[in-house]
Amino acid sequence: MKSKLLLALLSLTLAGTAAAQVKPEDAIKFRQSGYTFMAWNMARIKANVEGTYNKEEVIKAANAIQAIANSGMGALYLPGTDKGKGWEDTRVKPELFTNKEGVAKVGMAFNKEANEMAKVAATGDQAAAKEQFGKLGGSCKGCHDDFKVKK
Amino acid sequence: MTSPRIRLWDLPTRIFHWGLVLCIAGAVISGQIGGGLIEWHGRIGLAVVGLIVFRLVWGIVGSTYARFLHFFPTPGNIKAYLRGDWQGEGHNPLGALAVFGLLALVAIQAVTGLFSNDDIAFVGPLFDLVGRDLSNRLTGIHHLASNILIGLVVLHIAAVMFYLHARKQNLVKPMITGWKEGHGKSASGGGAVALVVALVLAVGAVYGASGAWLPEPPPPPPTAETPSW
Repeated sequence: MKSKLLLALLSLTLAGTAAAQVKPEDAIKFRQSGYTFMAWNMARIKANVEGTYNKEEVIKAANAIQAIANSGMGALYLPGTDKGKGWEDTRVKPELFTNKEGVAKVGMAFNKEANEMAKVAATGDQAAAKEQFGKLGGSCKGCHDDFKVKK
Repeated sequence: MTSPRIRLWDLPTRIFHWGLVLCIAGAVISGQIGGGLIEWHGRIGLAVVGLIVFRLVWGIVGSTYARFLHFFPTPGNIKAYLRGDWQGEGHNPLGALAVFGLLALVAIQAVTGLFSNDDIAFVGPLFDLVGRDLSNRLTGIHHLASNILIGLVVLHIAAVMFYLHARKQNLVKPMITGWKEGHGKSASGGGAVALVVALVLAVGAVYGASGAWLPEPPPPPPTAETPSW
């Protein structure tokens, strides 16, 4: 019993050290930076699927979004960071910290579409990329609708 | 023997009404689903700008019952209507309140939408004129007002149902055919010149709202200069 408790404590500590300690203010900044960087890449894909298509550009942009989507950004939603200021005041809703199931659902939907976007980008098919871009944007909206404050 | 009837709603007013119905339905659906449909949401918004401007002009130069002055609600005639003393054709004073409310809300939606952004990849055609902060505020208003607008549309439809079932008065039919059974004065005015003026102003408004006149963004630097990292 005692050893189990010790083990649990140990693993907790280890887990704690494995994930770098992030200050709340920094966590919010990292979050906002991630979304801003994705916004640039979304705009790049949009420009390409609607205009002259440059396969390499779309691959770069889609891979960047895929990488961020799979980076485990959920770790940045530390307890107590439902309010606070990063680059600007956070616009997260408190529900994100309580509705775990809902968050997992929209998060996984976004991951799926981001992975698919990277796959489609690799084929260089403009029409397919345009359609997948729409789906990817829709998966962003899934989270915005429920967990982002509309000011 | 035909029963007496009057010309109530002129054709442009009816086309406006049903056009707006289609646009609002399309805008609500495309706005809720989002994704690739957000582009259509933007296009529908431009069409709404045209419809609203057309109706505003038609409310001045259109035919009798389409004119704002004809049905402008005042505390006096609203009280008279609630007492049951109001006599007249066209929008009754309470209905007129709904008309102005709907027009105002749809106008707010269209205008705020022009400057909005969805924090994904869509920006309204005039986004560049206001910058991100103001755009975020206007987007917030756009979201809030959409709920009020949907509520008012539901109220509007409920009122029409109430008149149909409780008052045995079909308001939908005149809005389709233009004719209303009963005695009274038929609508007049709103001729070809008025129609052309309203159409030209509406098309001009759509052009202005589309941002097509905004200066082109500077061309991207040539790809040869793009660093490989």
